[in-house]
Amino acid sequence: MGANRCAVVGVGQTNHTTVRADVSIAGLVREAVDRALESAGMTLADIDAIVIGKAPDMLEGVMMPEMWLTDSLAASGKPVFRVHTAGSVGGSTAIVAAQHVMSGIHKRVLTVAFEKQSDGNAMWALSVPTPFGVPVHAGAGGYFSPIIRSYMRRSGAPAHIGAMVAVKDRTNACKNPYAHLHEPDWTLEKALETPMLWDPVRFIETCPSSDGAAALVMVSEDVADTMNVPKAWVHSTAMRSEPTMFAGRNQVSPRAGELCAEDLYRKAGITNPLEEIDVCEVYVPFSWFEPMWLENLGFAPKDHGWRFVEDGVTEMTGKLPFNPSGGVLSTNPIGASGMIRFGEAAMQVMGLAGEHQIDGAKKAMGHAYGGGSQFFAMWIVGSEKN
Amino acid sequence: MAGDKLQVTFETDGSLSAPLTLSYPYNRTLGTTYARFLSSLADRRIEGTKAQDGRVFVPPAEFDPSTGAPLNDWVQVGDSGTVVQWSWQPTPFADNTLDEPFAWALILLDGADVPMLHAVRASSVADMAVGMRVKAVWADERIPEITAIRCFEPVGG
Repeated sequence: MGANRCAVVGVGQTNHTTVRADVSIAGLVREAVDRALESAGMTLADIDAIVIGKAPDMLEGVMMPEMWLTDSLAASGKPVFRVHTAGSVGGSTAIVAAQHVMSGIHKRVLTVAFEKQSDGNAMWALSVPTPFGVPVHAGAGGYFSPIIRSYMRRSGAPAHIGAMVAVKDRTNACKNPYAHLHEPDWTLEKALETPMLWDPVRFIETCPSSDGAAALVMVSEDVADTMNVPKAWVHSTAMRSEPTMFAGRNQVSPRAGELCAEDLYRKAGITNPLEEIDVCEVYVPFSWFEPMWLENLGFAPKDHGWRFVEDGVTEMTGKLPFNPSGGVLSTNPIGASGMIRFGEAAMQVMGLAGEHQIDGAKKAMGHAYGGGSQFFAMWIVGSEKN
Repeated sequence: MAGDKLQVTFETDGSLSAPLTLSYPYNRTLGTTYARFLSSLADRRIEGTKAQDGRVFVPPAEFDPSTGAPLNDWVQVGDSGTVVQWSWQPTPFADNTLDEPFAWALILLDGADVPMLHAVRASSVADMAVGMRVKAVWADERIPEITAIRCFEPVGG
């Protein structure tokens, strides 16, 4: 690729929850930043550049919050870069930060992403009743449910697959102290009794609304080699996007996602992702996106993603664990959710995932998507240099 | 907004237009630093945070903009200060604290190192000047809002 090597040397996140009234947006961001810097053994003074991401400003109604955060991050005189890619932004932001290092321009880069969902109402902010359009008034769940229905029809997946994913993720989240929801007692039976919100999406199959932030510290190879901390080497990154609507669009398995994954594996030298990747943190805000992304990312053959779920492939004990952290289904500070996926992937290969550690994880994938399944951001991190 | 009938305008060139009124409720969670500042205003005290280099921020800074250090050292400053910059507001809006024309001013309160924006009640533009001394006029109602200070008024000569 011609790019310089880059390593994640610090990961931090808040203890995500419904409302963090005790902190401002700046205070929330600093909690994640301070934890990431502490794990890297660094301070703000060591940082050369800062990359900030969050979902659309309309979600909290604070325009260009990166300007406000400048003082709180002691960023005066340093390059500050803001990334906007809807729900995938946490992933895109981490990639932009990595590129700051891989380009050879900066040696020590801090990146942070956040959402204070309690300051607004994301579901309705995403459902503006634009004149002359169809007034859907349904939020993200209403947008995605027909796509999920389409997946079920074309793949022949039985109705309980979504609930299986939800029970797995909520159970995994109990091993993650930072997860928003800690609900240990779910069973498939109980899950199938939860109310139907947007047919076929049940209550348990939906992400919560969270306040939270995540931060990463990334450094160049020469800096990383001097540091005595766990490291996650960035083996490859990829981003792709496509329009929300166009004739013939495959909404179930968007081409942008397939191309993004192909590019990601090629750059990482991966020819068989199912065999070579040890653990994945994949953006699954509605449970059915796990089988859909298993196919879109090339892990499962077309229409077989749900069989992987049914066979336990994505359990923590399975061949390819998906979201041992509990995933977006257990924690969703929207703008931060992608960076949490990227950070959790890094924690796995750094050996820092605690109770939800997958033993011996050497290569991990972080994934985020956003908008109407149209923005994709992915990375592969490894315990060894690429 | 759901259920409102679409008000379509048929333009003479054949195009169509319709209004989009975006109305949307937000919350604001201040965190403890800004909350303490505003709560102290309700008690008719003006407080700021002090950085390690001695600078006092009013309104308070949560973090030192130079070092990023969290600022938890509180100091009370005076309710009088000096106008460092100003602009005349000839036609007040309904939600301004003053009904008559007034000045917006950056006021460096006694004991503070950064100026704070507030309204100054002056009888005319001619009464406003950089360097003039002003004093806070407290609102009748003791509320944790910046409008707990109704305005500032010129003092002395």
